[in-house]
Amino acid sequence: MRSSRRNSGRLAVVVALIVAAGAGVSGHRLDEYLQAARISLAPDRVQIELDLTPGIALAESIGREIDRDGSGAISPDEAAAYAEAVRHALRLAIDGTPIAPELVDSRFPMPEAMRAGEGMIRLHFAAPLPRLGAGAHELRYRNAHHPDIGVYLANALVPESSRVLITGQERDVDQRDLTIAYVLQPEPALGARLWLLGVVTSTLTLLFLVRRRHRPRAKSDSQGEE
Amino acid sequence: MRIRTGLFLLASIGLVLAVSNAGLAQRGSSILLASTPAATTARIVAAAQAVVATLDEAGRAKVQFPFDGPQKTRWSNLPSGIFQRQGLRLGDLTPAQRTAVMSLLSTALSQEGYRKVTEIMRGDEVLRTADGGGASRGGAAPAGVAPGGAPAPGAPAGGRARGGRGGGGGVIFGQDEYFLAFVGTPSTSTPWMLQFGGHHLAINLTLAGSQASMTPSLQAAQPAIYTFEGREIRPLGRENDKGFELINALDAAARSQAILGYQVSDLVLGPGQDGRVIQPEGVRASTLSPAQQNLLMEIVREWAGIAHESFAEPRMAQLRANLPDTYFAWSGPTTNGSVMYYRIQGPTLVIEYAPQGTVDHIHTIYRDPTNDYGAKLAAK
Repeated sequence: MRSSRRNSGRLAVVVALIVAAGAGVSGHRLDEYLQAARISLAPDRVQIELDLTPGIALAESIGREIDRDGSGAISPDEAAAYAEAVRHALRLAIDGTPIAPELVDSRFPMPEAMRAGEGMIRLHFAAPLPRLGAGAHELRYRNAHHPDIGVYLANALVPESSRVLITGQERDVDQRDLTIAYVLQPEPALGARLWLLGVVTSTLTLLFLVRRRHRPRAKSDSQGEE
Repeated sequence: MRIRTGLFLLASIGLVLAVSNAGLAQRGSSILLASTPAATTARIVAAAQAVVATLDEAGRAKVQFPFDGPQKTRWSNLPSGIFQRQGLRLGDLTPAQRTAVMSLLSTALSQEGYRKVTEIMRGDEVLRTADGGGASRGGAAPAGVAPGGAPAPGAPAGGRARGGRGGGGGVIFGQDEYFLAFVGTPSTSTPWMLQFGGHHLAINLTLAGSQASMTPSLQAAQPAIYTFEGREIRPLGRENDKGFELINALDAAARSQAILGYQVSDLVLGPGQDGRVIQPEGVRASTLSPAQQNLLMEIVREWAGIAHESFAEPRMAQLRANLPDTYFAWSGPTTNGSVMYYRIQGPTLVIEYAPQGTVDHIHTIYRDPTNDYGAKLAAK
């Protein structure tokens, strides 16, 4: 408790200094809640990395939202509860069909770091995609977490799979809403792969036989001369 | 009379030739001075060793970090008090030590790069002194870096305030709050990194013999315009003006492709976003005219040209070769003086220019997703 009060005191000093600086470090998010999403698409899965950075003037209130028992520390349960609240604020849909992201990993900063404005909450969500046919598809992402104070970034990462080809990104002006248009290339079929293997094997065998047939027979020729 | 005129003409021609020759010779010597990348690395290593020679044992321990340790990626745009840097703090150095550090920077960077770095630092000093933005830890804060980069005559060396640092004790601005670190031992053959940074600045220069990489690095400015010795200083003014020049040089079709229909309020690939590659957006440079492509390359030079010319020129050649696959994206109004954002992205390049809600506070980032922290060089 004493630690919490001391931290609050320090926060007050920090905020006071920033306010004294006028614009000061307001660029370092004074009263905005930056929420930056990076979305990676695979043929069968979508992943969302979401970084949440409360501005220094918001750190106390966001901190209270997370630290529900006011202990000054973020317990695993409190972290899980906050991540769940964020998850509920996310909307994902593939070709118009909603899909539910699940929390994969979460990292919360030390409360003191967050109160000092340094703390970034990193959440990692993922959702399996239904079996999709080759062709054009659309993934829609929407973030409605703290729209009152939120400032948003949303970007698709370059897909690791060569089967996924992003063809466009559409956003609303605030970047709360992002629609990723992409083309899913057909999966190389097993039959096609076996056919290719057969062709290569046959060609190599033929080459071997042809070379063997044309090889000079030194021993039998000398026998003939005798 | 004719003979006299002829002699006069001959003498004049001779004089002109002599002067031209001297000029060429001088230029030739400066070309020689620009030298090869390997020679530049050798000079940087010598300057780094000169810094080390000014330090005592404690100072040497502070400046040196292992090449494969966490220090490599430990940088930020944030000021001291919010972000705790490690290394040699300028405010803790004697004038001689500080001079050695600034001399190292001037050796490692181009003239233009060094100007930019010192103007960013000076801007932070303006933030500290004019806006009351935090007290220096040293109590009696030195003016620090003079126009040439050396400590101002008579400036105290600064020092540590009571109670140490960090821990939320306050945001601290000013020229004292910049840190030097060597990640790996300075060497003319094996990879190492010269790391210098503070509020609004992160220089990560990885050197490996004749090769170098200066990514990722961050340049930012607040205030973006200030007056120093009667001159208006804009540390990132060219980046702003050249951006507007290009967007306004595009025809309607190219401009409509370049301009994004949404706000971008911060860097997408700022600190902490190593290794990520976002899907490129905007207009593809291959569709631009040669003149427009040249304007784009001139913007790129503002970042690639921070490093010493020996390293900047090969880098520029690489980026020009990749130009057909490079994109230019813009968000915001196109009238100079407006708050806007732009991004240049190619196979080996990401540049972002992101005002923080005001034209007086700019953040930028410069990356090579294939070679950040000299990954390719270290792998060789």
